[in-house]
Amino acid sequence: MGTIVSLWPETSFRQNTPNIFWEPISILKPLKGCDSGLEENLLAFLDLDYPSYELLFSVESFDDPAYLVAKKLIEKNPQVVAKLVVDPVNLGPNPKVNNMVKAYDQASNDLILISDSNVRVDKGYLKHLSRYMRNKRTGMVTSVISGIQAEGLGGKLEAIFLNSFYARWMKLLVRVGKPCVVGKSMLFRKSTAQRFGGINILARYLAEDYMAGEAIKKLGLQVVLASEPVPQIIGKLKFKDFWSRHIRWGRIRKSQAFLAFLIEPVLLSFNSCFFGAFFLGAIFDSNPVFIFLAQTMIWFLLDIPTLVKSGVKPSCGVFLVWALRESLAFPLWINIAFGNTVQWRGKQLKLEGGGLLVTA
Amino acid sequence: MLADFHVHSTFSDGKLTIPAVVDLYGQRGFGAIAITDHVGESRTVIGKAAGHLGLCLTKATFPLYLEILKSEAERAWRLYRMVVIPGVELSKNSISNYRSAHIIALGIKKFMSADGDVADIARNIRNEGAVSIAAHPVDSGKFEKQTYHLWNRRFELAQAFDAWEVASGDRLFPEVLNSSLPKIASSDLHIARQMTSWKTLLDCERHPEAILDSIKKQKLNFRFYRDSKNDNIHSDIHSGYGSLVESGSYRSSFGDYRQPVA
Repeated sequence: MGTIVSLWPETSFRQNTPNIFWEPISILKPLKGCDSGLEENLLAFLDLDYPSYELLFSVESFDDPAYLVAKKLIEKNPQVVAKLVVDPVNLGPNPKVNNMVKAYDQASNDLILISDSNVRVDKGYLKHLSRYMRNKRTGMVTSVISGIQAEGLGGKLEAIFLNSFYARWMKLLVRVGKPCVVGKSMLFRKSTAQRFGGINILARYLAEDYMAGEAIKKLGLQVVLASEPVPQIIGKLKFKDFWSRHIRWGRIRKSQAFLAFLIEPVLLSFNSCFFGAFFLGAIFDSNPVFIFLAQTMIWFLLDIPTLVKSGVKPSCGVFLVWALRESLAFPLWINIAFGNTVQWRGKQLKLEGGGLLVTA
Repeated sequence: MLADFHVHSTFSDGKLTIPAVVDLYGQRGFGAIAITDHVGESRTVIGKAAGHLGLCLTKATFPLYLEILKSEAERAWRLYRMVVIPGVELSKNSISNYRSAHIIALGIKKFMSADGDVADIARNIRNEGAVSIAAHPVDSGKFEKQTYHLWNRRFELAQAFDAWEVASGDRLFPEVLNSSLPKIASSDLHIARQMTSWKTLLDCERHPEAILDSIKKQKLNFRFYRDSKNDNIHSDIHSGYGSLVESGSYRSSFGDYRQPVA
């Protein structure tokens, strides 16, 4: 189902909308440390094909290595309206929101784009997103993230996860009306956010993006998924980086949507292949190992269109990484189930029900 | 002014968003409404399940709820001169109807828990400066969970509540009507079609404090409100979206009750 939905043609109005007026946009770039390819990632935002936009970089302290990178880029590109804000606040345990609140306050446009530092976009990115906002019922535009330039085992696992399982499920959930929002790319109106208390209120949640989507839905507006994925530079990641990141993600999911988390194991490919092999093997008196392998191959084949759409060329290597990622999904789930704490940006945080955070 | 003090939104089991609720009532000329989404118990299986299914407010969703209510109250006043009062329906649900109770708190400023004994909950509501209402304390006549606990303890709890619902939806409760308990009539609206229901009439300033004070002092009346737009029964004598039974030829089968103003 996920594959079918993810391949469903995007026959939307927005790509045919005449380019009469491009509403000015303020781009918020919360920075923390030097992500892989940070300078190139930020540079892409200084060269966007859009008539009127401003960039607001924010860092927690002058000691942050991202400070110098952003400062240098601003000085080298005076043609773009850009500011660097170093004025963190402490509105709650979410460090990302704390980091960008002041920049948000200084944004001079109603349209706000929150964009993480590890995404690298093409020139038409803003035009592509802002077209969706012309629909008055649209409250937020988000994007599927595709993983590119991955190195190391952790990086490859992360990329295959983003380009298959995650892309498939996100598209499916948004289509059925669940407001899945990715904080790496969120376009919304400040005037709309003020109706639910602005971004300040999101500082108490770990998944500020998810809660923003929920709030938009509660206002009777739509969360729209842009048709083009936003590439994220994965860079070099160790296996333990991949593991800890997914523990964090999983515990957010568990906290936000506990019942959905409980049924997750049924939806994992290896689990369904295992049970399928067991039962089909018994019914047809066949070799369960053969059935298991055949089912696994079918799952992979179903994921190929999603992978291709994310720019991945299927190969034996891709299959092996995919199979490893799928085999890790259930052990990860078990690990996620036992525990409520997460490590994020150097802080140990405890999750309460509904994604509320307390510092552990 | 016409008022409804028991309305649900998509923050619990209602089908309308808060802005949609505001427009629904504002366009019909109401003077005041209270949005009262469910808060479930945090320690019971039913309460936890309701929270996980998104059928009630939780500590996590409550801050957003309050902020949206605040901004919508401003919009309601600006567009319709209608007062929106923040509220919750503290819901103690059990398998037994006799152990189930729903308590409305009006004029809340912070999250309130549905845990503990009903007498303590009612006391807590008043301590917070809010108004406490015993919701549908007798058989509501609907295919839904019944809540008889408060009615069974009515003599003990008579003073604990500022008002008891004498009507919920299109049903008037004779037991409450014939009692000496303080009263209020509400729709318990979950969908737009439920606009046709009993409402409360107030004669006070359009200000939250004045409205809550009127409930406490029982300066109110009850009316059956028929909504022509969302009603299957065509009512051609009424202009606009709806009207009170008094102003038209229609008479509610439940009767038209007017409580003497204290």
